Amino acid sequence: MSQTEQLLKKLPNDIGGMPADRIERTDHVLEPWEKRCHALADVLDFHKILNTEEKRRGVESLGAEMVGKLTYYERWIAAFAFILFQKQILTPDELARKMAEVEARHLEASTP
Amino acid sequence: MISASSTIQIVKALGEEPAFKAGDRVRISVRYPVGHYRVPIYIRGKQGIIEKILEPAAVNNEEEGFGRNAGLKGWYYRVAVPLTELWPGYDGAPHDRLVIEIFETWLERI
Amino acid sequence: MTTHDHDHDHPKIIDEPMPGYYEIMETAVRELLVEKKLISPGEIRRQIEVLDSRTTALGAKVVARAWVDPEFRARLLANGRAACEEFGISFYDDTQLIVLENTDKVHNLIVCTLCSCYPRPVLGLPPDWYKAKPYRARAVKEPRKVLAEFGTEIPDDVEIRVSDSTATVRYLVLPQRPAGTKDFTEEQLAALVTRDAMIGVVKVNLEQGIAV
Repeated sequence: MSQTEQLLKKLPNDIGGMPADRIERTDHVLEPWEKRCHALADVLDFHKILNTEEKRRGVESLGAEMVGKLTYYERWIAAFAFILFQKQILTPDELARKMAEVEARHLEASTP
Repeated sequence: MISASSTIQIVKALGEEPAFKAGDRVRISVRYPVGHYRVPIYIRGKQGIIEKILEPAAVNNEEEGFGRNAGLKGWYYRVAVPLTELWPGYDGAPHDRLVIEIFETWLERI
Repeated sequence: MTTHDHDHDHPKIIDEPMPGYYEIMETAVRELLVEKKLISPGEIRRQIEVLDSRTTALGAKVVARAWVDPEFRARLLANGRAACEEFGISFYDDTQLIVLENTDKVHNLIVCTLCSCYPRPVLGLPPDWYKAKPYRARAVKEPRKVLAEFGTEIPDDVEIRVSDSTATVRYLVLPQRPAGTKDFTEEQLAALVTRDAMIGVVKVNLEQGIAV
């Protein structure tokens, strides 16, 4: 029996019943970008460009390490990028160029 | 106009009627889809009782996960499973239970 | 080196930290989708307004009404979404709502072990702990210990029912009305109902004060 089959059989988010720590009653007020990200998910679902179940599947397929280390909305936006690439709505290069442009815009605006 | 004396024989499509009703004993199937699923591993193979048929019939969400915005429409059920059935050595109260929605394709009559 | 004179315009110095990597990604994805005319900026703004309008106060109103109006309560238990729609609470995500009634014999709590399903149209966005591993892993396995961590003790003769959301039904717990509130107005009752009581990890009691 393969040792690695559990990695495929059990999704990283399927954690019901697993051992876990004490509940830390944490909460945080959403950053503006996180709220925009949530709104983006809803709007993409309304358009059926990226439905809610697809978003879940997209987050799952980031894999255990990313699911464990990225925050909730970081996982969403990363998943959106990959799904939009698969659907040929965006290309990685397009996104990279736009991200560089956004970053440069912020740098320019904050430079005296 | 349909006369009162005529009888109408209709045949329903497969899946038009729920296969299970409240009170039926069921077992949640054991199989291992990779890539996406909505039946947690902790519930697979467990036996429970149908509590409620969820209306209306809806698309199989496991099929929606790959972006076709489509899939087989069918019935979801709220299935109740005692926690003693789920977890050996459960030390809460014996009548505590879990209730979870399961799509019909994952249920077997027992 | 020239002196720095002021006959040119500075771009505004923005007093904000540089956005992080994921914020830049969100901005870039959104701008590209708008450029490609797949979404409009107005839609995102509008949906933010929708989200901001959904708070625990909505759920508290529904609970308070159910406490004072037995016919509403019956409608709420029969069809949670339709009853909430009587208050104008729309279900923009097209989910259904089942309201779970706590009684002297049954205590309900809700969880989503696979992700973070939550009755957002009527409660707003869930707290971080609800979406994190400890709650999701343990609520289905040791609910009484989880409740104890929230300071809630449920006697052994009361059944605990944990509802794990996996599809398009969402859940809202209808807590028991606390003793000593016979003369409270609906508004006063609503002020007692907290988000955590509608998740089912705490009961409503008079010490709790203003709704979270």
